[in-house]
Amino acid sequence: MSAARDDSGGWLRERLGWAPLTAALAAYRIPRGNIAFYLGGTTLFLLLVQVASGIMLTLYYKPDAAQAFRSVERITGEIEYGNLVHSFHVWSSDLFIACLFAHLFFVLVRRGFRAPHELSWLTGLMGLVLGVGLAFTGDILPWSQRAYTDARVGSEFAKYVPLVGTWLNRFLRGGDEVTSNTLVHAYGFHVAALPAALTLVVALHIFLLTRRSTPVPEEASRETIPLYPDFFVRQAAALTAVLVVIMTLAIFFERPLGIAADPRLSSPGGAMPPWYFLAIHQILRAAPTELLGIDGARFLVSAACLLGLLVAALPFIDRRGSKATAVLAWVLLFVLILLAASALN
Amino acid sequence: MGSNDEPEEVPRRDFLGMAVGGSAAAFAVAGGYPFLRFVDPPAQQPSGPVNIGKLEEFPVGSARTVVVDERPVLVIRTGDGFRAFSALCTHLQCVVAYSAERNQIECPCHRGIYSMDGRNIGGPPPRPLQELSVTVNTGSVIVSAV
Ligand code: FES
Repeated sequence: MSAARDDSGGWLRERLGWAPLTAALAAYRIPRGNIAFYLGGTTLFLLLVQVASGIMLTLYYKPDAAQAFRSVERITGEIEYGNLVHSFHVWSSDLFIACLFAHLFFVLVRRGFRAPHELSWLTGLMGLVLGVGLAFTGDILPWSQRAYTDARVGSEFAKYVPLVGTWLNRFLRGGDEVTSNTLVHAYGFHVAALPAALTLVVALHIFLLTRRSTPVPEEASRETIPLYPDFFVRQAAALTAVLVVIMTLAIFFERPLGIAADPRLSSPGGAMPPWYFLAIHQILRAAPTELLGIDGARFLVSAACLLGLLVAALPFIDRRGSKATAVLAWVLLFVLILLAASALN
Repeated sequence: MGSNDEPEEVPRRDFLGMAVGGSAAAFAVAGGYPFLRFVDPPAQQPSGPVNIGKLEEFPVGSARTVVVDERPVLVIRTGDGFRAFSALCTHLQCVVAYSAERNQIECPCHRGIYSMDGRNIGGPPPRPLQELSVTVNTGSVIVSAV
């Protein structure tokens, strides 16, 4: 930026330290056409969108088992644009999880976890766990029959996690059983604990990126573009498209609430958990009673947890980022999609 | 730094660092334990025997799901008397229902099947349904955990 322009920058620019800020952003270069960056920016944007629409929903939502469903019905049926805000919040939550997952997947296949990016990889995975927690607790809040079933089945999954399963199960339920306490617990997590934790993790993730002169492991051959303005402009265009997609989904594909939770009603036939739990749901559904002498479901979920730990430890196991890791990542994705698809049958 | 015959001094900055780190660790332990205890929900105590209705509300050959301690309980009345089971499927905790047509208890989630005495006889459920005791006292049906 020229000195003449700096001088004419005005009162606000001067106070914001605009010129050095944009100069630093312009000096920071990222690889051209690396989809992982656009997905990262989109994920952050979707998080902000959810915070905004979520705060709006809290104006009318009542976190009480006797009133929750009615309050969501009121939001979607009586409050002006309530249906749109609700639908927008739910769709952006789905897209948030999808983008977060895709962001991490592309970092994985491009082996962006290599040193010195180990902590970025770990904070990214922590973000995924917290993000799924946010989506799951949000799913429970309408306290509809489906939400009640999801709370039961979802918290039952936790029981199979090795070592901490029983504790986690009680913790998620707010007691031994899914009761009104579960809803209050989910609300506290959804609006306070998880957003606070996720904000910290995202801040740390971004801070770690800025600590590096280049945000990707050395790949000298790659063409790069400056973060500002080039990347920002492209990202803004992508976000505009994302916003159009969410609005279209929110307007034309409403998310029906169903009926209010009633523990006396039998669960809906073929009840499905939220889509991000379909693969694990299929594992639990199809698990044999016994495998190698132990409970089949426990065996398979323990194996899945071990796989998760291996993925988290990748930067320390595969320091150079071998091509085989990228191939395995594609195989893993294929298996997950296959499991989810078979859960739908 | 001291000379060879003097004890080595800890530089002031390192000392302060250790003091701050030590205090933070002490606070983390002192606060962490109560925190973990607080967030661990207390065990739910059963409320004891619960009156679920009048005898005439349960005709022979009928089944009804009632709520006891916020949990669904399936109460079945056959010619031989009453049976009550936790209506939570032992597979993934969906709420089961009685099928009069097939005279069995079914879980709609993944097609789990239980016999009328609560035994898991088909589908993924790994265990029988938990049974509760039912008594009839001066025309009222009372359910309590076994
Ligand atoms: S939850 Fe009942 S069969 Fe799966």
